[in-house]
Amino acid sequence: MLKDITIGQYYPGHSVIHKLDPRVKLIGTLVFIVTLFAFGSVSSYIAATAALAIVIGLSHVPVSFLLRGLKAIFILMVITALFNLFLTPGKVIFRIGFLTITAEGVRITVHMAFRLTYLIIGSSILTLTTTPNQLTDGMETGLGPLNRIHVPVHEVAMMMSIALRFIPILMDETDKIMRAQEARGADFTSGGVIRRAKAMIPLLVPLFVAAFRRANDLALAMEARGYHGGSGRTKMKPLVYQRRDYVAYVCILAYLILMILLWKFV
Amino acid sequence: MGASLYEDMTDRSTGNIIEGHQLCFRYPHYNENGEVDSTQTALEDIDLEVQEGQFIAILGHNGSGKSTLARQLNALLLPTGGTLYVNGYDTRDESRLWDIRQSTGMVFQNPDNQIIASVVEEDVGFGPENMGVPTEDIWKRVKKALGAVGMWEMRESSPDRLSGGQKQRVAIAGVLAMKPRCIVLDEPTAMLDPGGRAEVISTVRELNRTEGVTVILITHYMEEVVDADRVIVMDKGRVVLTGTPREIFSQVDQLTNLRLSVPQVTLLAHALKEGGADLEDGILTREELIGSLEALRAENSAAGTGTAVSGAAAPAVSESGDAVPGEEVSAASMPGAADDSAHAKGSDTSDRAAGHDPEKAIEKEEPFIRAEHLGYIYEPGTSYEREALKDINLSIGKHEFTGIIGHTGSGKSTLIQHLNGLTRPTSGTIYVDGEDISAEGYPMRDLRFRVGLVFQYPEYQLFEENVLSDVSFGPKNQGLPEEEVLSRARTAMRAVGLDESFEKVSPFELSGGQKRRAAIAGILAMEPEVLVLDEPTAGLDPMGRDEILELLKKLYEEKDMTILLVSHSMEDVANYVNRIVVMDNGQILYDAVPEEVFSHVEELERIGLAAPQVTYVAHELRDRGWDVDDSVTTIRQAADEILRALGDK
Repeated sequence: MLKDITIGQYYPGHSVIHKLDPRVKLIGTLVFIVTLFAFGSVSSYIAATAALAIVIGLSHVPVSFLLRGLKAIFILMVITALFNLFLTPGKVIFRIGFLTITAEGVRITVHMAFRLTYLIIGSSILTLTTTPNQLTDGMETGLGPLNRIHVPVHEVAMMMSIALRFIPILMDETDKIMRAQEARGADFTSGGVIRRAKAMIPLLVPLFVAAFRRANDLALAMEARGYHGGSGRTKMKPLVYQRRDYVAYVCILAYLILMILLWKFV
Repeated sequence: MGASLYEDMTDRSTGNIIEGHQLCFRYPHYNENGEVDSTQTALEDIDLEVQEGQFIAILGHNGSGKSTLARQLNALLLPTGGTLYVNGYDTRDESRLWDIRQSTGMVFQNPDNQIIASVVEEDVGFGPENMGVPTEDIWKRVKKALGAVGMWEMRESSPDRLSGGQKQRVAIAGVLAMKPRCIVLDEPTAMLDPGGRAEVISTVRELNRTEGVTVILITHYMEEVVDADRVIVMDKGRVVLTGTPREIFSQVDQLTNLRLSVPQVTLLAHALKEGGADLEDGILTREELIGSLEALRAENSAAGTGTAVSGAAAPAVSESGDAVPGEEVSAASMPGAADDSAHAKGSDTSDRAAGHDPEKAIEKEEPFIRAEHLGYIYEPGTSYEREALKDINLSIGKHEFTGIIGHTGSGKSTLIQHLNGLTRPTSGTIYVDGEDISAEGYPMRDLRFRVGLVFQYPEYQLFEENVLSDVSFGPKNQGLPEEEVLSRARTAMRAVGLDESFEKVSPFELSGGQKRRAAIAGILAMEPEVLVLDEPTAGLDPMGRDEILELLKKLYEEKDMTILLVSHSMEDVANYVNRIVVMDNGQILYDAVPEEVFSHVEELERIGLAAPQVTYVAHELRDRGWDVDDSVTTIRQAADEILRALGDK
């Protein structure tokens, strides 16, 4: 299951989407998500679907790869759906025992399913086509002004990119330790909540120890390569807007206007 | 690269890139209040001079102070006594810290923990970025550095998809991009397989030779240092030996006392000398040994026959002439002939085991573990889909000591995880003790206790507050009564050589080798019928390695255990096991006694493995017409064979 999480993974490629400035992609994703939650008409979902389809097509990321990311949050979606379905007050259309399903419940459930799915796919495209470094660069530059009010933007960005780099490594490590403890008869899958929580100790202790060891090594390696914070640092890949980035901004603006129009007039 | 690149820097001292005088370092120990209450000496009175362009090797067992010294060279640690000048800068001069870090680059042991970025090229650019190099120049440097280590084609890959050797080359490129005058490599190959090791070492040598970069290589693999300009041996924080590789390696006994091992070829020469052969000291390479042996034989035959023969080739003709007429024919037919004889021998052995001895025959009918047409596919249906195992047929009988060898990614680790049901096969069946383990309702947890599996780097799974409870974890999971659990745990600890005093110690306070043994005890305490170990010696120094292997030998001989040893070290395997399974590309390539497997020297090399050095020596001598058995796999066997051949003269 751990391998199914595609958020935070990078899918190497040379598509137009890959080449876009990360700031454009960040803003695009933000606009997409805001409109997704602000407007909820059928027509706006159709527009969102079309936009998503075009972007996926341009990005050359296989759809199956994107859908795998959904698998990881499937349970979460089901739980959300059940809550919405049964706990929304309104006009009752169906009743089994103490459980009632209302028309509003059905509507909200469908909405949430759409929104969550699109939210995940939308943000997956961002992370799949943007290297963590570009992503954090984008945030660092985008949030640069915050530096003036003493927000450590560079440090936060560096921490994020390191976290992203080590996610796959620590997942591998988790998998390995789990297997190693299973080989000693550990049982992670049966028993009640408390027993299961207890069973996690042989997994979590070594995992934390490993994480600290790695952090220590990495800090040493960074220091050895002259890292001393953000001051005086240059960029290997400085962010410079290209023509395609302006075109992309125009597309994003057009999409936003379209969504507003759909909301006003359809 | 020449001096011109460094015009802006001036050597203010002697022209030595590194110069240390009576360098001392003590690690502080803090008490609960955060005050220093004691210190531990890690370096003592080190005098060190390294000239620009040299290739220096530093040897020493784990804990000898060599890594501490390496960290001094990059000012990651500062001397507590004496002085150290790097590129003319005093390392204690804080204002020069970044100049020092830029002039001596560091490459560390663990390839995963020193790559910062998620894309190869961005990682290589990290150092120059920190130095404030303009963007355009960063790219030039990255291109040059990646080109120099042969990784330019992989510049856009994610480090996670690279092999260990490739990751280390990226790490070297990351240092090179900072244009250092000196590179310090702290056991860069300790976690790699033989292929990766060769890759990294040849990259480093090439940089030293063509780019003139000063190299300081810290290692405990002796084979890697034979063409260093100077070798420094450390013990207990002091420099105990220094000299050329030849001078150092001629002191076999002293190196052994220092818990170091000597290249196998040197050991063979040493054994031959002790057996009476008149060889010179400090033979390092195969070529040297063979040259000396040929000369010796020429001398012997000259003395023996009373005729002066010029050159070493002449007696070779006369000798091979005895067996096959004509030198050319004999040389050409030799490898094939050797193969045939080895084949014959191999099938002979299996005949013996299967047919002639009735008791053995019964055992063969139902081996303890039997895998039939085993197949396993990783991440099916994705772009990373990979067939890890293909149609594996393997039988493991009771009381066997089997070695499984193959390079990283050959499927050996995947295979052994099938044997205790941790991984379920995509196709095929595994029978343990006659039962199909994928059958409905098979007691899988009991299987884990019967087939004990020690993972790679097993010390990473230690978690309890003391060694005794950690070792007890397995038997406790078996649901045994308390006293039984403790008695098994204690027995297991004794078996691996950890006495009572270790029972209440935290596993995290043990040394590397002790941790490894404690982890193995954790499996032994379950009293499994089969013990499977995945590279149990990886990352240990020669002494720690020998301890583990001797432990396995004892378990096999005294406790009559069935042992499966996964390894990529041929020397390890050859000395201990009585059967070798060679894996390549998810398939079994050979499954035979060591002598037969190692007779396929060329084939083993093709798949990134190597036979033991002594096998190569015997092979080559035979090619030159010596009457030696080329299926020898240990130093003892090889020495006996060569001495016999010399004596026959």
